[in-house]
Amino acid sequence: MSLFQDVDQITLPDTLWEDVVNHCKRKLAGDFLPGESEVKRAYGILAGTCKERILTVELVLPVKKNARNQEPLKTYMDTMMTEHAVASTTPLSQRGWITDPEELMGCYEQCDKQNMQIFGTYHMHIVPWKGDAIRDTPTVLDTVLGKDSNLFSFIISMIDIEKPSMKAFYEGVLEKEIPLVISHQNNASK
Amino acid sequence: MATIIIPFPFRKHTDNQREVSVTGDTLAKNLENLLALHSGLQVIHDQPGLLSIFINGKSINATTTEWKEVAVAQSDEITLIIPIAGG
Repeated sequence: MSLFQDVDQITLPDTLWEDVVNHCKRKLAGDFLPGESEVKRAYGILAGTCKERILTVELVLPVKKNARNQEPLKTYMDTMMTEHAVASTTPLSQRGWITDPEELMGCYEQCDKQNMQIFGTYHMHIVPWKGDAIRDTPTVLDTVLGKDSNLFSFIISMIDIEKPSMKAFYEGVLEKEIPLVISHQNNASK
Repeated sequence: MATIIIPFPFRKHTDNQREVSVTGDTLAKNLENLLALHSGLQVIHDQPGLLSIFINGKSINATTTEWKEVAVAQSDEITLIIPIAGG
């Protein structure tokens, strides 16, 4: 399947879900790996296989580097943030994530070697908004950045760090949410 | 013929092909021939400042116009990368 918009369901094994959550918790705790961008944001890639309109996540690839402040990507991100992000007291330079091209190439190569497809990227929302206490849906910025990507935006709510949750949206569009099922290994159930 | 590796999100424009073989002595000629085969990949060209190019894993500075004249050998593998961004 070359277009993910026709997918009926995404299955995520619980062990991989734990990997995603642990990545988020580690970044929030400020426990950074060597060579990792020291920002309390978690960004990563989910990959796997597709069979009969069901995507199964088989690989979690936490992304280490945020190229947010490297030119020419900085100019691009500054423009995107200024035009589409909600107002915030956080400096512009600390908002948004864009993958380092070389690291991304390594991710692509790893997926190709393992005969997997990249389904999309995940990132977390950590601050509740007025009228949106959970923050498990894409922002306007998420939608703009996901446009024409043919990827899912996996949004993780880490508002309550003990009760994380995740939803999947095709190209970051709110109305294109796809059911995401956390499955137990060898015993698929929600 | 050189081989161009198509980034995941853009394989919808190549019938899900991972790689496309093209001819051309320079990077510009290779990309021109790639677009002739798969016009949908014009979206890559339409994102100035975002495109990164690697030849056999080595980064080519695509922020200047000089990259267009970089020589390409038949055995070369060209990888095109558009970074993925999020909020």
